[in-house]
Amino acid sequence: MDTNTCCPCPETLAMTSIPKQNWCEPYDYRTALTEGTIFPCLNLPFFKAEIGDSTLNTATISANPEENEREQMLTEISIISFAINDLTLYLDTHPNCQNGLSLFKELLKKRLKLLADFADKFYPLTQISMIVGENDTNCYGWDEGPAPWEGGLI
Amino acid sequence: MWSYEKRLQFPVKIKNTCPKTAQLIISQYGGPDGELAASMRYLAQRYTMPIKQVGGLLTDIGTEEINHMEIICSMVYQLTKHLTPEQAKTAGFDAYYIDHTTGIWPQAAAGIPFTALEIQSKGDAITDLFENLAAEQKARTVYDNLLRVIDDPDVRAPLKFLRAREIVHFQRFGEALEMTKEKMNAKNFYYFNSEFDKGMFERGM
Repeated sequence: MDTNTCCPCPETLAMTSIPKQNWCEPYDYRTALTEGTIFPCLNLPFFKAEIGDSTLNTATISANPEENEREQMLTEISIISFAINDLTLYLDTHPNCQNGLSLFKELLKKRLKLLADFADKFYPLTQISMIVGENDTNCYGWDEGPAPWEGGLI
Repeated sequence: MWSYEKRLQFPVKIKNTCPKTAQLIISQYGGPDGELAASMRYLAQRYTMPIKQVGGLLTDIGTEEINHMEIICSMVYQLTKHLTPEQAKTAGFDAYYIDHTTGIWPQAAAGIPFTALEIQSKGDAITDLFENLAAEQKARTVYDNLLRVIDDPDVRAPLKFLRAREIVHFQRFGEALEMTKEKMNAKNFYYFNSEFDKGMFERGM
């Protein structure tokens, strides 16, 4: 556990103090992406957008099973990658937290495998995954797949 | 150095055309408290930050704000992708349409173009961190305002995500402020500027 729980600076006049976040048990990673943080202790909703009242829209309008599978894999990549994004900021201010660090490394490995699987099955999402996929067509590949802003609806 | 990944940080899949909603949301692209301003603010401030870890945090949050800019632009794009000439005339997007058709251009909801005057990089760690704490709160208020008036669940889901990020970033900037204060003399945080008066900062005065 991270024992460095509170700001070490004494409170003084004419200066703000913000308590340091303690490690708290993360949400499951799908919930984390939907809610916008992996940490339940930092999820402070607005009364017009309560916890749990929105869902991750991963539906495609396609009847094509391959497109649906692509969408599922892409969602999984987004879920794991977001947990890494949120942990990155946590570790920037808690570099010695062993809970955060071990989870970070575990998720990075998972993400690397997901990116390689996606490149293998569909197209590369990053340039580095252009060499981890099978690339049996000898195509460039970077131009494949829909643009991210199309929302998978085309 | 940055590298691109061909996906959004949060999926955007909007089915219904709504130019009015696009006109409101575009403020979080090019408005005073938008994501473009946020990323430029943090990425500009990091060079002179006296605490290396705080410079690192500014890089990481500044990078995330670029992802958020891409989410907002995708929302504006999808909301106006199938805009009809009739909707362009009557549905609240008419002035924008005249200047930009349905191209994506950084402006505030009221039409004011993006300007660097909306951000600050002051060359003083304490001042810049308070600027950033305020920026996160201002952006949160805009997301609150959007969530109060927009009903489409396809639009609300990414807005709710983006609002939550503002609160997480506020906490991280608060922690960065504590890290900076630790290296300063708590008797008077204003005795010198930790970015400019480097000798005094290094001597821990």
